[in-house]
Amino acid sequence: MTPHLTQLVLQQAPAAPVGRIVGGWGYVWACYGIAWSGMALYALSLWVRRPKRKEPSP
Amino acid sequence: MSERRPIGIFRASWSVLRKDLVLEWRTRARLNALVFFAVATLLMFSFALGPDSKLLEKHAGAYFWLAILFSSVLSLGESFRVEMENACLDGLKLAPVDGRAVFLGKAFGNALMLLLLALVVLPIMGALYGIHLPLGPVWLITTVVLGCLAISAPGTVYAAIAVHARARDVLLPLLLFPLLVPALLAAVKATTLVLQGDPQDDLGDWMKLLGAFDAIYWSLGFVLFPRVIED
Amino acid sequence: MFRVVVFLAITILTGLALRFSVRSARLAIGFGLLGLVTVAIGGYLGLVVAPPERDMGDVYRILYVHVPAAWVGLLCVCLNFGACVAYLFKADWGADSFAEATAEVGLCFSTIAIVLGSIWAKPTWGVYWTWDPRLTTYAIMIVSYSAYLVLRGFIDDPERRAVWSSVVGIIAGVDIPIVYFSVNWWNTLHQQQSSPQTVSKPMVLPLDVSGFAFLFVMICFIALRHRIARARRAEEIAPPEALPSTSREAA
Repeated sequence: MTPHLTQLVLQQAPAAPVGRIVGGWGYVWACYGIAWSGMALYALSLWVRRPKRKEPSP
Repeated sequence: MSERRPIGIFRASWSVLRKDLVLEWRTRARLNALVFFAVATLLMFSFALGPDSKLLEKHAGAYFWLAILFSSVLSLGESFRVEMENACLDGLKLAPVDGRAVFLGKAFGNALMLLLLALVVLPIMGALYGIHLPLGPVWLITTVVLGCLAISAPGTVYAAIAVHARARDVLLPLLLFPLLVPALLAAVKATTLVLQGDPQDDLGDWMKLLGAFDAIYWSLGFVLFPRVIED
Repeated sequence: MFRVVVFLAITILTGLALRFSVRSARLAIGFGLLGLVTVAIGGYLGLVVAPPERDMGDVYRILYVHVPAAWVGLLCVCLNFGACVAYLFKADWGADSFAEATAEVGLCFSTIAIVLGSIWAKPTWGVYWTWDPRLTTYAIMIVSYSAYLVLRGFIDDPERRAVWSSVVGIIAGVDIPIVYFSVNWWNTLHQQQSSPQTVSKPMVLPLDVSGFAFLFVMICFIALRHRIARARRAEEIAPPEALPSTSREAA
């Protein structure tokens, strides 16, 4: 019964904006930035630590 | 030379346990230090949290288990430090003692030490925080036993590792504390319910979680410990 | 049923990819480049193409990086567990190096996942941290595997390090599901946090693409880190150079 009632009420309401949370792109960019730079930094650390080719001993 | 019967694993464990208990009984140094440390920790909690006795009573279970946990780090570390001196652990390995028997003996010894500590600390905590026992002492003792077993099994394995590494005093808590989170949760919850009453009858569930944790880690320790001490 | 088959197929293919990448740096870097491209595509799909969500608007797009990072973190823990068990059955430097690599790569991705999860929590739940079972399990996971790597750093003897870290890896690995289960239980006594469980159709594609992207990057990272670990092992167990020469009779 209750979900039905909720639906009725929602239908009465004016068209809602795109999301309850509007905007928030700052958070999105922060997250994508952290993810990508985190992976890039780790890749860099792998490059820095890469095994050196040993010179053949004389 | 007469044919020697292989020593059964439980007899060997008992020998290891008895050796540790006799050693400890002779000096009682470890137990004394542990008791003082645990009581000091409880006092520190009281001072840090303020004189609101209602608050202290409500969270007595949490403070109790934190004090036991911190003390356990000292206790576990000490239990293997004594083996390092005079290469006692090597001596144990040379005698035909199964590594698993050493685990059982050591882990039970550690559990007993923690249990003794807990039993000494409980009345003191009762006085400090003013606790009651609506469900009776049996459940409290059961919870304490299960909790001490939970700390002891992985603690024994990790102590055997940490004692050989550098910065052993930092390494043992670093390894042990995240591992013991489920046991800590369950033990604190169960103890709090025992001390404050259990309206929703959750106690059984928490005890089962603690019991399952014990079963899993005693089995794992039993299997893995020999690999830790072998050369 | 279809999902189980897909999951198994991905697991097997990942296993094969790892198997070959650890031997060939070129293949590993190939996966890395593939991952880079797929990350870019996934990013485009997630940021531009996917429609805004009904409740969370555009903030939900964080899901496209947070969820794959979390998946990879968990996958690395499973791989680490497997490597530790394998080492205890058969002492092989490859298994030990693989365990070291998966622990470190897993730590990297889990940290990213938890930071992103925390940032996502702010606009959606209003707080940076809650004792949500998943976040809490990841926090414990991060501390456990940091401890694993610290332990490895503190032991100088390579064989002992391998055996002991295998033991620690197994114990820590078994703990993760126990932690999740117990925190879940612990939380049911408090309020339940809702989190987006179901993902609607147009949002699945960017998630799958990002998932594969992170998977490819993971393969590259594990393979390269494995090479580093193997090289270090070889250095540690190599006989010392500059031994006095025995063939000095010529002089």
